[in-house]
Amino acid sequence: MLLENKSQFWLKDTDMVENAYDAATGTPLDRERAGASLRVVSVEGDDAIARRLIDLGFRPNTEVRVERVAPLGDPIQFRLHGYRLALRKSEARRVLVMAR
Amino acid sequence: MSVSRRLATIALVGRQNAGKTSLLMHLTGRTQHPVNFPGSSVERSEAVAKVADGHLRIVDLPGITSLEALSPDEEVALGWLRGGAATTSEKEGGDGPDAICAVVDAAKLGVELGLVVQLARLGKPIIVALTKVDVAGVTIDVAALARELGVSVVPVNALTGAGAQVLLTRLSAEVSTPTASAPRLAPVDLDVLVKAVTTPIVGERPALTDRIDAVLLHRVFGLPILALLVFGIFQTLFVGAEPMMGLIEDGQSALGGWIASLVPEGALQSFLVDGLVNGVGSVLVFLPQIILLMLFVSLLEASGYMARAAFLLDRVLSKVGLSGRSFVPMVSSFACAVPAVLATRMIDNERERLATIAVLPLMSCSARLPVYVVLIGAFFPSSQAGIVLFSLYGLGIVVAALVAWILRRTKLRGSHAILMMELPVYQRPLFRVVKNQVWAASREFLVTAGTVIMATAVLIWVLSYYPRPAAIHERHAAERTTLVAELATLAAGLPARAEVEALLADVDTRERAAYLEQSFLAEAGKAIQPVFAPAGFDWRTTVGVLAAFPARELVIPTLGILYSVGDVDPGEFDIASLDGAEAHRNEGLAGRLRAAKQEDGSPAWTSLSALSVMVFFALCSQCMATLGAIKRETRSWRWPLFVFTYMTSLAWVMAVLVYQIGSALGFGGGS
Repeated sequence: MLLENKSQFWLKDTDMVENAYDAATGTPLDRERAGASLRVVSVEGDDAIARRLIDLGFRPNTEVRVERVAPLGDPIQFRLHGYRLALRKSEARRVLVMAR
Repeated sequence: MSVSRRLATIALVGRQNAGKTSLLMHLTGRTQHPVNFPGSSVERSEAVAKVADGHLRIVDLPGITSLEALSPDEEVALGWLRGGAATTSEKEGGDGPDAICAVVDAAKLGVELGLVVQLARLGKPIIVALTKVDVAGVTIDVAALARELGVSVVPVNALTGAGAQVLLTRLSAEVSTPTASAPRLAPVDLDVLVKAVTTPIVGERPALTDRIDAVLLHRVFGLPILALLVFGIFQTLFVGAEPMMGLIEDGQSALGGWIASLVPEGALQSFLVDGLVNGVGSVLVFLPQIILLMLFVSLLEASGYMARAAFLLDRVLSKVGLSGRSFVPMVSSFACAVPAVLATRMIDNERERLATIAVLPLMSCSARLPVYVVLIGAFFPSSQAGIVLFSLYGLGIVVAALVAWILRRTKLRGSHAILMMELPVYQRPLFRVVKNQVWAASREFLVTAGTVIMATAVLIWVLSYYPRPAAIHERHAAERTTLVAELATLAAGLPARAEVEALLADVDTRERAAYLEQSFLAEAGKAIQPVFAPAGFDWRTTVGVLAAFPARELVIPTLGILYSVGDVDPGEFDIASLDGAEAHRNEGLAGRLRAAKQEDGSPAWTSLSALSVMVFFALCSQCMATLGAIKRETRSWRWPLFVFTYMTSLAWVMAVLVYQIGSALGFGGGS
């Protein structure tokens, strides 16, 4: 579960995170439907947006729930770390997740 | 600053919605002054707090998610944060903070503490202010948290201000003995840490916010509710501001009348009444709308709904490189672009904000309506009135979308609009915060009105008043004397008497027209008319267009004088006058416009040229108040100049296209 993996990824560079989770595959977060309870596997890439997603809380093993998709199909509202965050699909697809 | 040496400086750092603004207010107990980072339009607010042994300067930075900037404006704030206190320059804002107060939302410890960890690496003293502890949904062991982090943690209530004094004392101690708390954050696993210090409150009902969102963000009802809300705000802007606007207009004419009764007729009287009072009045009249709109915008933002509106509409606006955050300013701009420009402060991405500001004035504001109403009434059958009016509003929207799209691909490219937006917990807006925002916007508007706009109004007055050749006065004075003499021979109540009285009034109007016709403004109009000839404007229309640059509604009284129907008060035209009782008032001007002939005998106006004029007014930048607001908000003349140039050229091109294509298709004949 959430706390069993006591990695210290948040102090390291994202490429290390990627290496650490190379084996694990996941599905892009934008493909999930409303109501899905998920666990973050990794964030793709190591550009500023990827790092920002991590700073927003998409760290490996973080629990994420897809709350709802906006009426017009984009953006998507997520819930993680006890708060509500809206992301466009174009950014959400950088986050790879697994079912919890 | 008047203080001789610099004060110890504390930076309030936190993510958006962490409660920084309210906290700053409780810490300092006074209104903050927005200050710019040098050489940029990025704003921070700061204020000075009294502590036991002196004062602390507290600087509220814009919301920060991470120490890595995604946009140039984030970089500006972060650069300042990194700046060393030792390298202080006395230049305003050139220094960095002595200590950091990290504002952390207790409900989101898991993500917020990530920022604290990053801040710790800056090597400055840190104190954590823990906000929203009461609504976090978990109980937090504050002592354990402080122990694990190795820094002071002070719970504060950003709404009531509880804990603010303790925080101040700690901050003050921190800067006076800075060695005391070099942050000794060991690498800890945040998830473990959060788990260790929080205990979930069991049996809690689903958060109120989730229950509200289930309705407001509903797949089917979400958008209709938003539409209804916007409609309500829009309606209130028109209806609610009306009595106040009426009062201002009444006050303006009363003041004008009072001055006219004190000051003898002549240049001074005209300057005071037509130049100053009218000039300032025509701007002041927007104040009620500004206050109302800023009130709504501020309430929407403070309650948390603004983020929901952005969430609902982001898809549409993303198509043109904007985001949902531009929506409220866009809608507001249909009422008045001035408060709409101020409302763009809620957009955190600077380029997106600039693109929004640049296209806002294209929305057909309430001041364009009188122009549309008069010209549609004069030149289009009532069966077509609705569609023409609708098309003019549509034109503004379409052009705005195109301009935004182009801007976001050229000048304002870069940071492609990303939406990473928190949907904050709903909360009751803090009265003082709302009040401060409304007051700040109103004050800035008044300052602009008192300077730039007044100067322009005076300039236009000078150009339209001078020169004053004596011949015109003598000719009309002679006419007047004859009529007065005739009047004296007629007994009261005779029908002929009323006729002569009307003639007498007509002399005044014609005298004004004669003066105006040879004024510098008219000379300029005649000189410039060739430029507007391809758009089908005669020289009088050209003068109207020129006179309307300070405020577009000035075109109505100007055309009224030029086509000699006496004073026409722009305030008389509103939606109501499209039909019914007031319609006859417009008939005067409308009738004259239809009857007016050019020098060669052809009609001065046709429905095609009226359409061309309306297209021009729909797109042209004719509002000093808006340009002034843009200048204030972007802190440079570049943007108002750009907006003025592109809108005015675009208006000319479109008016010419309408007239030329229309003529080619054979619509140019009679009306």
